Amino acid sequence: MTLSVTDVTAGFGSSTVLRNVSLAVEPGEVVTVVGPSGTGKTTLLRLLATFRRPDAGTVAWDDRDIWTMADDERLGVRRQVSMVFQEPSLFNAPVHRNVSYGLRVREPWQARLRRGLRELVGSSRPADTVVSALETVGLADVGDQNALSLSGGEAQRVAFARALAVDPAVMLLDEPTSNLDPHNTALLENAIERARDRGVGVVVATHDMHQAKRISDRMAFLHDGELVETGLPEQLFENPTDARTARFLDGELLVGDRSGSRAPQSPTADP
Amino acid sequence: MIPLQAQLPDGGWTYVVSIVAVSLYVSLTAVGLSTLFSLPVALGIGFTDFRGKRLVTAVVNTGMGFPSVVVGLLVLILLSNSGPLGSLDLAFTPRAMILSQFVLATPVLLSVSLSAVEGVDQSVRDAAYAMGGTRVDVGLAVIKEARFGIITAILAGFGRAISEVGSILIVGGNIVYSDGQSYTRTLTTAITVEARQGRYEVGLVLGVILLALVLAVNGLGSWLRNQDRGERSV
Repeated sequence: MTLSVTDVTAGFGSSTVLRNVSLAVEPGEVVTVVGPSGTGKTTLLRLLATFRRPDAGTVAWDDRDIWTMADDERLGVRRQVSMVFQEPSLFNAPVHRNVSYGLRVREPWQARLRRGLRELVGSSRPADTVVSALETVGLADVGDQNALSLSGGEAQRVAFARALAVDPAVMLLDEPTSNLDPHNTALLENAIERARDRGVGVVVATHDMHQAKRISDRMAFLHDGELVETGLPEQLFENPTDARTARFLDGELLVGDRSGSRAPQSPTADP
Repeated sequence: MIPLQAQLPDGGWTYVVSIVAVSLYVSLTAVGLSTLFSLPVALGIGFTDFRGKRLVTAVVNTGMGFPSVVVGLLVLILLSNSGPLGSLDLAFTPRAMILSQFVLATPVLLSVSLSAVEGVDQSVRDAAYAMGGTRVDVGLAVIKEARFGIITAILAGFGRAISEVGSILIVGGNIVYSDGQSYTRTLTTAITVEARQGRYEVGLVLGVILLALVLAVNGLGSWLRNQDRGERSV
């Protein structure tokens, strides 16, 4: 089960955000998409999550174009992919209701109505997968709290648990730790590794290079809407093939800076 | 002083009870139908960007101040024998009153629920979609998030419907059977009759019942808003 984009171009109005980007995530690997803020990482993840069609190129599930599938089939694919946003985006409801959301929308209507009636009379308890997902992020004890009363770090971990509870094949994480303290960041990174170990393919957009180094199996460097290079973390960190990657790693490159070219140390390498 | 019992028209307390029943039947039905109509429309307007959206919103907001007698007149023209819907034979029936209250309550319901729906952060829709929700699931997630605003909208619509007099007087005809059972007489239209006939005490009783209903509705609204605040600060 491979989720991929091939030669995708996408933009808003007259501005192009992504140009001819190709990337794939395989089961059981963590791919980090790194690059300066505003470089198109979120747009790439939203294309992978089928929030929108690309202007050109294809988004594919096992080499089948998602946007040529029938609606039902595309929904089936969507339901194997879950996403965590930069902001936790939780519902005004108890934590266990948030975490079980994805499971509930996958149930037939009759089962949902029955569950709703059971909840009205107060005789329902969270599913085991909900409890297990909350345990993975170390929050098994907050299930009954309202999600909006949690701290930022806890809320983001609940958002991760919500995405994990549906047993996805692929998880898309958009800057999941950008607002978190080191403790919560470590907990979430640990949860990402556990998901990867379960065979989930994970795409993480981040501008935190230290984090990318810690969790990546593969890295992709995106700059100004172009995928500059992809490779193993050690390759990108120690021997980048593009000068823009090197400058970003040195903390010099900002979005909109197009002055990069091939790095002098490896002029023939393919980005 | 004439006792209240003696002042009551034929039917005695049955008269009062049937008036309350007609009032509740007409207003609850009108508001129920208006809710079914307004929520999808509010979601549609709130979710989409289209040319003229501001104009549509302005028209809806203007509709909140629509004079009820004008609505009554227009609905009566529509339903009268020579009107386009005359063949339905609805003039001077509770259904005609439901229609006119629907027209009056809908702008209130639509406007308040639209602002509640638009107040729900885009991230809620994104989360519902990203977790595998269909378009209906996304809409339901937004309604759940906006639930207190939507309940306020429904209560405001009910308040508008139950307390209005002009349109239902015109399209309903304020009819009571000879045994004192109400056909199209409601609390508000009955009060106008009782006041005109000098039966002030009966009018006052009906007024107190009406006020109690409106108070109960507002009390319910405040309680729900407090629940919302309490829930967020758990």
